[in-house]
Amino acid sequence: MRLLFAGKYMSNYADILVELSEATPVFRRYARALGAGVGLVVADGLVHSALQGLGARLRAREVTPNDAEAARIEAYKAITSLAAHKYQVASCPGPRHPPIVHGLAALDFTDRAVLLLVSLEGFGYDAAADIASISRETVFMRLQRARALLANSTANSGGIPQVSAARSSAHLRVVK
Amino acid sequence: MTTPPTGFLEEADLHAFVDGILDPDQRRRVEEHLAQHPEDAALVESWQRQNAAIRAVYEPILREIPAPSLRSAAAQVAAPSGTIESGATHWGRPGVLPRVRRREDILAQQRRQAIFASVLAVLSVAAVTALATFIFAGRGEHRPITAASAPQGYVARAGLTYATYVSDQHPVEIDASRLEELSSWLKARVGFYKVPDLSQQGMRLIGGRVAPGVAAPAGFLIYERPDGGRVGLYFERSVATISQQASKSGSGMTAIEWRTADFAFVLIGPLSLDLMQVAAEKAAAQIISASQP
Repeated sequence: MRLLFAGKYMSNYADILVELSEATPVFRRYARALGAGVGLVVADGLVHSALQGLGARLRAREVTPNDAEAARIEAYKAITSLAAHKYQVASCPGPRHPPIVHGLAALDFTDRAVLLLVSLEGFGYDAAADIASISRETVFMRLQRARALLANSTANSGGIPQVSAARSSAHLRVVK
Repeated sequence: MTTPPTGFLEEADLHAFVDGILDPDQRRRVEEHLAQHPEDAALVESWQRQNAAIRAVYEPILREIPAPSLRSAAAQVAAPSGTIESGATHWGRPGVLPRVRRREDILAQQRRQAIFASVLAVLSVAAVTALATFIFAGRGEHRPITAASAPQGYVARAGLTYATYVSDQHPVEIDASRLEELSSWLKARVGFYKVPDLSQQGMRLIGGRVAPGVAAPAGFLIYERPDGGRVGLYFERSVATISQQASKSGSGMTAIEWRTADFAFVLIGPLSLDLMQVAAEKAAAQIISASQP
Protein backbone atom coordinates (compact mmCIF):
# COMPACT_ATOMS: atom_id res chain seq x y z
CA MET A 1 0.00 0.00 0.00
CA ARG A 2 2.75 2.38 0.98
CA LEU A 3 4.75 1.54 -2.15
CA LEU A 4 1.69 2.11 -4.33
CA PHE A 5 1.11 5.51 -2.75
CA ALA A 6 4.76 6.42 -3.16
CA GLY A 7 4.61 5.37 -6.80
CA LYS A 8 1.50 7.42 -7.41
CA TYR A 9 3.02 10.43 -5.67
CA MET A 10 6.21 10.20 -7.70
CA SER A 11 4.18 10.09 -10.91
CA ASN A 12 2.16 13.05 -9.71
CA TYR A 13 5.36 14.84 -8.67
CA ALA A 14 6.78 14.42 -12.15
CA ASP A 15 3.57 15.79 -13.66
CA ILE A 16 3.71 18.75 -11.30
CA LEU A 17 7.27 19.56 -12.33
CA VAL A 18 6.23 19.49 -15.98
CA GLU A 19 3.29 21.77 -15.22
CA LEU A 20 5.45 24.23 -13.31
CA SER A 21 8.00 24.26 -16.11
CA GLU A 22 5.36 24.94 -18.74
CA ALA A 23 3.78 27.64 -16.59
CA THR A 24 7.06 29.54 -16.16
CA PRO A 25 6.05 32.28 -18.67
CA VAL A 26 2.93 33.18 -16.68
CA PHE A 27 4.89 33.15 -13.43
CA ARG A 28 7.36 35.58 -15.00
CA ARG A 29 4.52 37.80 -16.16
CA TYR A 30 2.98 37.87 -12.70
CA ALA A 31 6.30 38.59 -10.97
CA ARG A 32 7.06 41.45 -13.36
CA ALA A 33 3.63 42.98 -12.88
CA LEU A 34 3.81 42.51 -9.12
CA GLY A 35 7.10 44.38 -9.10
CA ALA A 36 5.55 47.23 -11.09
CA GLY A 37 8.67 48.53 -12.74
CA VAL A 38 11.33 46.19 -11.38
CA GLY A 39 13.75 44.84 -13.91
CA LEU A 40 13.32 41.47 -15.56
CA VAL A 41 16.42 40.03 -13.91
CA VAL A 42 15.11 40.80 -10.42
CA ALA A 43 11.67 39.46 -11.31
CA ASP A 44 13.14 36.28 -12.80
CA GLY A 45 15.28 35.88 -9.71
CA LEU A 46 12.17 36.07 -7.59
CA VAL A 47 10.44 33.40 -9.67
CA HIS A 48 13.53 31.21 -9.52
CA SER A 49 13.74 31.44 -5.73
CA ALA A 50 10.02 30.87 -5.29
CA LEU A 51 9.96 27.79 -7.52
CA GLN A 52 13.10 26.40 -5.90
CA GLY A 53 11.51 26.78 -2.49
CA LEU A 54 8.29 25.20 -3.71
CA GLY A 55 10.23 22.31 -5.18
CA ALA A 56 11.89 21.69 -1.82
CA ARG A 57 8.52 21.72 -0.09
CA LEU A 58 7.10 19.31 -2.65
CA ARG A 59 9.97 16.89 -2.13
CA ALA A 60 9.54 17.15 1.63
CA ARG A 61 5.78 16.68 1.13
CA GLU A 62 5.05 19.82 3.08
CA VAL A 63 2.62 20.62 0.28
CA THR A 64 0.82 17.90 -1.66
CA PRO A 65 -1.16 19.44 -4.52
CA ASN A 66 -3.62 16.99 -6.01
CA ASP A 67 -3.27 18.18 -9.57
CA ALA A 68 -1.53 20.59 -11.87
CA GLU A 69 -3.93 23.45 -11.14
CA ALA A 70 -3.36 23.12 -7.40
CA ALA A 71 0.39 23.12 -8.05
CA ARG A 72 0.12 26.35 -10.02
CA ILE A 73 -1.76 27.97 -7.17
CA GLU A 74 0.98 26.86 -4.78
CA ALA A 75 3.49 28.49 -7.12
CA TYR A 76 1.52 31.74 -7.17
CA LYS A 77 1.37 31.63 -3.36
CA ALA A 78 5.13 31.19 -3.20
CA ILE A 79 5.76 34.06 -5.62
CA THR A 80 3.33 36.36 -3.82
CA SER A 81 4.74 35.56 -0.41
CA LEU A 82 8.33 36.07 -1.51
CA ALA A 83 7.47 39.25 -3.39
CA ALA A 84 5.76 40.68 -0.29
CA HIS A 85 9.13 40.41 1.40
CA LYS A 86 11.33 41.43 -1.54
CA TYR A 87 9.17 44.29 -2.78
CA GLN A 88 8.65 45.86 0.64
CA VAL A 89 10.09 49.11 -0.63
CA ALA A 90 7.81 50.34 -3.40
CA SER A 91 9.48 50.38 -6.77
CA CYS A 92 9.89 53.62 -8.63
CA PRO A 93 9.25 52.92 -12.31
CA GLY A 94 11.36 54.85 -14.77
CA PRO A 95 9.79 57.62 -16.85
CA ARG A 96 9.50 55.35 -19.90
CA HIS A 97 7.03 53.07 -18.18
CA PRO A 98 3.38 53.70 -19.14
CA PRO A 99 1.04 55.43 -16.64
CA ILE A 100 -0.62 52.14 -15.71
CA VAL A 101 2.70 50.82 -14.35
CA HIS A 102 3.19 53.95 -12.27
CA GLY A 103 -0.34 53.53 -11.00
CA LEU A 104 0.33 49.92 -10.04
CA ALA A 105 3.55 50.91 -8.26
CA ALA A 106 1.63 53.43 -6.15
CA LEU A 107 -0.75 50.75 -4.82
CA ASP A 108 -0.35 48.92 -1.55
CA PHE A 109 1.35 45.57 -2.23
CA THR A 110 -1.65 43.39 -1.38
CA ASP A 111 -4.04 45.64 -3.31
CA ARG A 112 -1.76 45.28 -6.33
CA ALA A 113 -1.46 41.53 -5.90
CA VAL A 114 -5.22 41.03 -5.68
CA LEU A 115 -5.84 43.24 -8.71
CA LEU A 116 -3.26 41.38 -10.79
CA LEU A 117 -4.42 37.94 -9.68
CA VAL A 118 -7.94 38.76 -10.80
CA SER A 119 -7.41 41.07 -13.77
CA LEU A 120 -4.19 39.74 -15.27
CA GLU A 121 -3.94 36.15 -14.12
CA GLY A 122 -7.68 35.45 -14.37
CA PHE A 123 -8.24 33.91 -10.94
CA GLY A 124 -11.63 33.94 -9.25
CA TYR A 125 -12.10 35.63 -5.89
CA ASP A 126 -11.73 32.38 -3.90
CA ALA A 127 -8.44 31.45 -5.57
CA ALA A 128 -7.14 35.01 -5.23
CA ALA A 129 -8.02 34.92 -1.52
CA ASP A 130 -6.15 31.62 -1.13
CA ILE A 131 -3.07 32.92 -2.94
CA ALA A 132 -2.94 36.24 -1.10
CA SER A 133 -3.76 34.58 2.25
CA ILE A 134 -6.74 36.84 2.91
CA SER A 135 -10.47 36.32 3.16
CA ARG A 136 -12.82 36.46 0.18
CA GLU A 137 -14.44 39.58 1.61
CA THR A 138 -11.07 41.27 1.87
CA VAL A 139 -10.37 40.39 -1.77
CA PHE A 140 -13.33 42.43 -2.88
CA MET A 141 -12.44 45.37 -0.64
CA ARG A 142 -8.87 45.44 -1.93
CA LEU A 143 -10.03 45.05 -5.53
CA GLN A 144 -12.44 47.94 -5.19
CA ARG A 145 -9.78 50.13 -3.59
CA ALA A 146 -7.13 49.21 -6.13
CA ARG A 147 -9.37 50.02 -9.09
CA ALA A 148 -10.44 53.34 -7.60
CA LEU A 149 -6.87 54.40 -6.79
CA LEU A 150 -5.61 53.23 -10.16
CA ALA A 151 -8.33 55.23 -11.94
CA ASN A 152 -7.35 58.34 -9.97
CA SER A 153 -3.63 57.99 -10.54
CA THR A 154 -3.86 57.24 -14.26
CA ALA A 155 -6.35 60.07 -14.76
CA ASN A 156 -3.96 62.51 -13.08
CA SER A 157 -1.14 61.36 -15.33
CA GLY A 158 -3.23 61.62 -18.50
CA GLY A 159 -4.05 57.93 -18.71
CA ILE A 160 -7.44 56.30 -18.41
CA PRO A 161 -10.13 58.96 -17.80
CA GLN A 162 -11.51 59.09 -14.29
CA VAL A 163 -15.15 58.10 -13.95
CA SER A 164 -17.61 59.53 -11.52
CA ALA A 165 -17.12 58.24 -7.98
CA ALA A 166 -20.88 58.14 -7.40
CA ARG A 167 -20.64 54.56 -6.19
CA SER A 168 -17.83 55.19 -3.77
CA SER A 169 -20.17 55.12 -0.77
CA ALA A 170 -22.18 52.10 -1.91
CA HIS A 171 -22.75 49.45 0.70
CA LEU A 172 -20.38 46.57 0.21
CA ARG A 173 -21.79 43.14 -0.33
CA VAL A 174 -19.96 40.10 -1.54
CA VAL A 175 -21.48 38.31 -4.51
CA LYS A 176 -22.05 34.71 -3.49
CA MET B 1 -26.92 38.48 -6.62
CA THR B 2 -30.37 40.02 -6.18
CA THR B 3 -31.95 42.89 -8.03
CA PRO B 4 -33.93 45.20 -5.72
CA PRO B 5 -37.14 46.64 -7.13
CA THR B 6 -35.40 49.96 -7.74
CA GLY B 7 -32.94 48.18 -10.08
CA PHE B 8 -29.96 49.33 -8.02
CA LEU B 9 -27.01 46.98 -8.29
CA GLU B 10 -24.26 46.66 -5.71
CA GLU B 11 -20.80 47.69 -6.81
CA ALA B 12 -19.71 44.16 -6.03
CA ASP B 13 -21.91 42.97 -8.87
CA LEU B 14 -20.26 45.36 -11.28
CA HIS B 15 -16.78 44.16 -10.28
CA ALA B 16 -17.93 40.57 -10.64
CA PHE B 17 -19.26 41.42 -14.10
CA VAL B 18 -15.91 42.87 -15.16
CA ASP B 19 -14.08 39.86 -13.73
CA GLY B 20 -16.33 37.37 -15.52
CA ILE B 21 -17.43 35.42 -12.47
CA LEU B 22 -21.20 35.79 -12.83
CA ASP B 23 -23.43 33.03 -14.09
CA PRO B 24 -25.37 33.70 -17.33
CA ASP B 25 -28.53 34.90 -15.55
CA GLN B 26 -26.62 37.28 -13.30
CA ARG B 27 -24.62 38.56 -16.23
CA ARG B 28 -27.75 39.26 -18.25
CA ARG B 29 -29.27 41.24 -15.37
CA VAL B 30 -26.15 43.35 -15.06
CA GLU B 31 -26.12 43.99 -18.80
CA GLU B 32 -29.73 45.14 -18.64
CA HIS B 33 -28.87 47.42 -15.73
CA LEU B 34 -25.89 48.90 -17.55
CA ALA B 35 -28.03 49.61 -20.60
CA GLN B 36 -30.27 51.78 -18.43
CA HIS B 37 -27.62 53.37 -16.21
CA PRO B 38 -24.90 55.05 -18.29
CA GLU B 39 -22.88 56.14 -15.25
CA ASP B 40 -22.47 52.56 -14.10
CA ALA B 41 -21.73 51.55 -17.68
CA ALA B 42 -18.95 54.15 -17.81
CA LEU B 43 -17.56 52.85 -14.51
CA VAL B 44 -17.50 49.29 -15.81
CA GLU B 45 -15.89 50.43 -19.03
CA SER B 46 -13.15 52.25 -17.13
CA TRP B 47 -12.32 49.09 -15.19
CA GLN B 48 -12.28 47.09 -18.39
CA ARG B 49 -9.88 49.62 -19.92
CA GLN B 50 -7.66 49.31 -16.83
CA ASN B 51 -7.55 45.55 -17.31
CA ALA B 52 -6.76 45.97 -20.99
CA ALA B 53 -3.96 48.43 -20.21
CA ILE B 54 -2.43 46.03 -17.68
CA ARG B 55 -2.59 43.14 -20.12
CA ALA B 56 -1.13 45.23 -22.94
CA VAL B 57 1.96 45.95 -20.83
CA TYR B 58 2.58 42.45 -19.51
CA GLU B 59 1.19 40.02 -22.11
CA PRO B 60 4.32 40.32 -24.34
CA ILE B 61 6.30 38.68 -21.56
CA LEU B 62 4.57 35.42 -22.40
CA ARG B 63 6.35 35.41 -25.76
CA GLU B 64 9.81 35.59 -24.18
CA ILE B 65 11.72 32.34 -23.79
CA PRO B 66 12.59 31.69 -20.14
CA ALA B 67 16.09 30.56 -19.32
CA PRO B 68 16.31 26.76 -18.94
CA SER B 69 17.51 27.19 -15.36
CA LEU B 70 14.31 29.06 -14.59
CA ARG B 71 12.06 26.45 -16.18
CA SER B 72 13.69 23.73 -14.11
CA ALA B 73 13.90 25.73 -10.86
CA ALA B 74 11.35 23.60 -9.03
CA ALA B 75 13.45 20.51 -9.67
CA GLN B 76 16.67 22.13 -8.49
CA VAL B 77 18.13 21.73 -5.02
CA ALA B 78 19.01 25.08 -3.54
CA ALA B 79 22.62 25.78 -2.55
CA PRO B 80 23.13 25.01 1.14
CA SER B 81 24.51 28.45 1.87
CA GLY B 82 21.23 30.15 0.99
CA THR B 83 18.81 30.91 -1.77
CA ILE B 84 20.31 32.02 -5.04
CA GLU B 85 18.04 34.92 -5.82
CA SER B 86 18.66 35.01 -9.49
CA GLY B 87 17.81 32.75 -12.39
CA ALA B 88 21.52 32.69 -12.97
CA THR B 89 24.45 30.35 -12.78
CA HIS B 90 26.87 31.50 -10.16
CA TRP B 91 30.51 30.67 -10.08
CA GLY B 92 31.33 30.84 -6.44
CA ARG B 93 29.58 33.16 -4.01
CA PRO B 94 31.26 36.56 -3.70
CA GLY B 95 31.20 37.79 -0.16
CA VAL B 96 30.68 34.45 1.53
CA LEU B 97 34.26 33.20 1.74
CA PRO B 98 35.14 31.64 5.11
CA ARG B 99 36.97 33.96 7.47
CA VAL B 100 39.69 31.47 8.36
CA ARG B 101 41.15 29.26 5.68
CA ARG B 102 43.44 26.36 6.39
CA ARG B 103 46.66 26.00 4.51
CA GLU B 104 45.34 22.80 2.98
CA ASP B 105 42.30 24.68 1.63
CA ILE B 106 44.52 27.33 0.09
CA LEU B 107 46.76 24.74 -1.59
CA ALA B 108 43.71 22.85 -2.82
CA GLN B 109 42.31 26.02 -4.36
CA GLN B 110 45.60 26.74 -6.08
CA ARG B 111 45.62 23.23 -7.53
CA ARG B 112 42.04 23.70 -8.76
CA GLN B 113 42.94 26.98 -10.40
CA ALA B 114 45.89 25.38 -12.17
CA ILE B 115 43.69 22.57 -13.42
CA PHE B 116 41.06 25.05 -14.53
CA ALA B 117 43.68 26.98 -16.49
CA SER B 118 44.81 23.78 -18.19
CA VAL B 119 41.25 22.78 -19.05
CA LEU B 120 40.65 26.28 -20.33
CA ALA B 121 43.62 26.00 -22.67
CA VAL B 122 42.26 22.73 -24.07
CA LEU B 123 38.78 24.16 -24.48
CA SER B 124 40.16 27.22 -26.21
CA VAL B 125 41.78 25.01 -28.86
CA ALA B 126 38.54 23.09 -29.23
CA ALA B 127 36.59 26.31 -29.59
CA VAL B 128 38.95 27.62 -32.28
CA THR B 129 38.69 24.30 -34.13
CA ALA B 130 34.89 24.40 -33.92
CA LEU B 131 34.87 27.94 -35.26
CA ALA B 132 37.16 27.00 -38.12
CA THR B 133 34.87 24.09 -38.97
CA PHE B 134 31.88 26.41 -38.86
CA ILE B 135 33.57 28.90 -41.17
CA PHE B 136 35.01 26.52 -43.73
CA ALA B 137 32.18 24.02 -43.76
CA GLY B 138 29.59 26.58 -44.75
CA ARG B 139 30.10 30.27 -44.28
CA GLY B 140 26.90 32.05 -43.32
CA GLU B 141 24.86 28.86 -43.22
CA HIS B 142 22.74 28.18 -40.17
CA ARG B 143 23.26 24.61 -39.15
CA PRO B 144 20.77 23.22 -36.70
CA ILE B 145 22.49 22.33 -33.46
CA THR B 146 20.89 19.66 -31.30
CA ALA B 147 21.25 19.30 -27.59
CA ALA B 148 23.39 16.25 -28.22
CA SER B 149 25.94 18.08 -30.33
CA ALA B 150 25.96 21.42 -28.50
CA PRO B 151 29.21 21.52 -26.57
CA GLN B 152 28.19 23.85 -23.75
CA GLY B 153 25.46 26.10 -22.39
CA TYR B 154 25.63 29.84 -22.86
CA VAL B 155 27.00 30.58 -19.42
CA ALA B 156 29.79 28.06 -19.79
CA ARG B 157 30.65 29.48 -23.21
CA ALA B 158 30.55 33.02 -21.85
CA GLY B 159 32.96 31.96 -19.14
CA LEU B 160 35.30 30.43 -21.66
CA THR B 161 35.16 33.58 -23.76
CA TYR B 162 35.77 35.74 -20.72
CA ALA B 163 38.74 33.68 -19.59
CA THR B 164 40.16 33.65 -23.11
CA TYR B 165 40.04 37.34 -23.91
CA VAL B 166 39.61 39.52 -20.86
CA SER B 167 43.24 39.39 -19.75
CA ASP B 168 44.65 39.31 -23.24
CA GLN B 169 46.97 42.06 -24.43
CA HIS B 170 44.41 42.81 -27.14
CA PRO B 171 41.09 41.92 -25.50
CA VAL B 172 38.93 43.51 -28.18
CA GLU B 173 38.98 43.69 -31.94
CA ILE B 174 37.29 47.09 -32.23
CA ASP B 175 37.64 49.55 -29.39
CA ALA B 176 35.02 51.92 -28.03
CA SER B 177 36.34 54.89 -30.00
CA ARG B 178 34.92 53.23 -33.13
CA LEU B 179 31.49 52.46 -31.72
CA GLU B 180 29.59 52.76 -34.99
CA GLU B 181 32.00 50.41 -36.70
CA LEU B 182 31.70 47.98 -33.79
CA SER B 183 27.90 48.07 -33.95
CA SER B 184 27.86 47.51 -37.71
CA TRP B 185 30.27 44.61 -37.42
CA LEU B 186 28.29 42.92 -34.64
CA LYS B 187 25.07 43.41 -36.59
CA ALA B 188 26.55 41.77 -39.67
CA ARG B 189 28.20 38.84 -37.87
CA VAL B 190 26.02 38.20 -34.84
CA GLY B 191 22.70 39.80 -35.72
CA PHE B 192 22.51 42.08 -32.71
CA TYR B 193 24.20 45.42 -32.41
CA LYS B 194 22.91 47.43 -29.43
CA VAL B 195 25.92 48.19 -27.24
CA PRO B 196 24.59 48.89 -23.74
CA ASP B 197 25.93 51.94 -21.97
CA LEU B 198 26.92 50.92 -18.44
CA SER B 199 28.85 54.09 -17.57
CA GLN B 200 26.36 54.94 -14.84
CA GLN B 201 27.29 51.65 -13.19
CA GLY B 202 30.96 52.64 -13.32
CA MET B 203 31.73 50.39 -16.29
CA ARG B 204 33.50 51.97 -19.24
CA LEU B 205 33.23 50.18 -22.56
CA ILE B 206 36.62 49.05 -23.82
CA GLY B 207 35.31 47.55 -27.04
CA GLY B 208 34.08 44.29 -28.48
CA ARG B 209 34.72 41.34 -30.66
CA VAL B 210 33.09 38.36 -32.31
CA ALA B 211 33.75 35.08 -30.54
CA PRO B 212 32.85 31.44 -31.11
CA GLY B 213 29.34 30.82 -29.82
CA VAL B 214 27.54 27.67 -28.85
CA ALA B 215 25.53 27.45 -32.05
CA ALA B 216 26.35 30.66 -33.92
CA PRO B 217 28.87 33.51 -33.83
CA ALA B 218 28.64 35.38 -30.55
CA GLY B 219 29.31 38.96 -29.63
CA PHE B 220 31.46 39.85 -26.65
CA LEU B 221 31.72 43.31 -25.19
CA ILE B 222 34.23 44.14 -22.47
CA TYR B 223 33.73 46.84 -19.87
CA GLU B 224 36.27 48.09 -17.35
CA ARG B 225 35.75 49.52 -13.87
CA PRO B 226 37.94 52.22 -12.30
CA ASP B 227 39.60 49.54 -10.15
CA GLY B 228 40.64 47.67 -13.29
CA GLY B 229 38.10 44.88 -12.93
CA ARG B 230 36.60 43.79 -16.23
CA VAL B 231 33.08 42.63 -16.98
CA GLY B 232 32.05 40.88 -20.17
CA LEU B 233 28.68 40.88 -21.93
CA TYR B 234 28.31 37.80 -24.09
CA PHE B 235 25.37 37.46 -26.50
CA GLU B 236 24.35 34.95 -29.10
CA ARG B 237 21.20 34.11 -31.03
CA SER B 238 19.45 31.63 -28.76
CA VAL B 239 18.44 28.12 -29.74
CA ALA B 240 15.63 26.53 -27.74
CA THR B 241 17.17 23.07 -27.93
CA ILE B 242 20.25 24.08 -25.97
CA SER B 243 19.92 23.15 -22.34
CA GLN B 244 21.74 24.73 -19.45
CA GLN B 245 24.93 22.96 -18.47
CA ALA B 246 25.93 22.42 -14.87
CA SER B 247 27.96 25.30 -13.48
CA LYS B 248 31.70 24.80 -13.30
CA SER B 249 33.79 25.47 -10.23
CA GLY B 250 35.42 28.84 -9.91
CA SER B 251 35.76 31.56 -7.33
CA GLY B 252 34.74 35.18 -7.13
CA MET B 253 32.87 35.22 -10.45
CA THR B 254 29.22 35.92 -11.07
CA ALA B 255 27.34 35.21 -14.28
CA ILE B 256 23.80 36.34 -15.00
CA GLU B 257 21.96 34.94 -17.99
CA TRP B 258 18.78 36.19 -19.57
CA ARG B 259 17.02 35.87 -22.88
CA THR B 260 15.19 38.50 -24.89
CA ALA B 261 14.63 39.43 -28.51
CA ASP B 262 15.62 35.88 -29.59
CA PHE B 263 19.07 36.29 -28.09
CA ALA B 264 20.76 34.84 -25.03
CA PHE B 265 22.81 37.28 -22.96
CA VAL B 266 25.32 36.55 -20.22
CA LEU B 267 26.90 39.25 -18.10
CA ILE B 268 29.98 37.85 -16.39
CA GLY B 269 32.55 39.41 -14.11
CA PRO B 270 34.35 39.41 -10.76
CA LEU B 271 31.75 41.52 -8.96
CA SER B 272 29.18 40.90 -6.26
CA LEU B 273 25.75 39.65 -7.19
CA ASP B 274 24.15 42.98 -6.30
CA LEU B 275 26.41 45.00 -8.59
CA MET B 276 26.07 42.50 -11.41
CA GLN B 277 22.28 42.47 -11.13
CA VAL B 278 22.08 46.25 -11.34
CA ALA B 279 24.31 46.24 -14.41
CA ALA B 280 22.36 43.36 -15.95
CA GLU B 281 19.09 45.23 -15.40
CA LYS B 282 20.50 48.30 -17.07
CA ALA B 283 21.81 46.35 -20.04
CA ALA B 284 18.58 44.37 -20.39
CA ALA B 285 16.46 47.54 -20.35
CA GLN B 286 18.54 49.12 -23.12
CA ILE B 287 18.47 45.94 -25.18
CA ILE B 288 14.70 45.57 -24.85
CA SER B 289 14.25 49.22 -25.76
CA ALA B 290 16.41 48.81 -28.85
CA SER B 291 14.57 45.66 -29.97
CA GLN B 292 11.11 47.20 -29.80
CA PRO B 293 9.74 48.65 -33.05
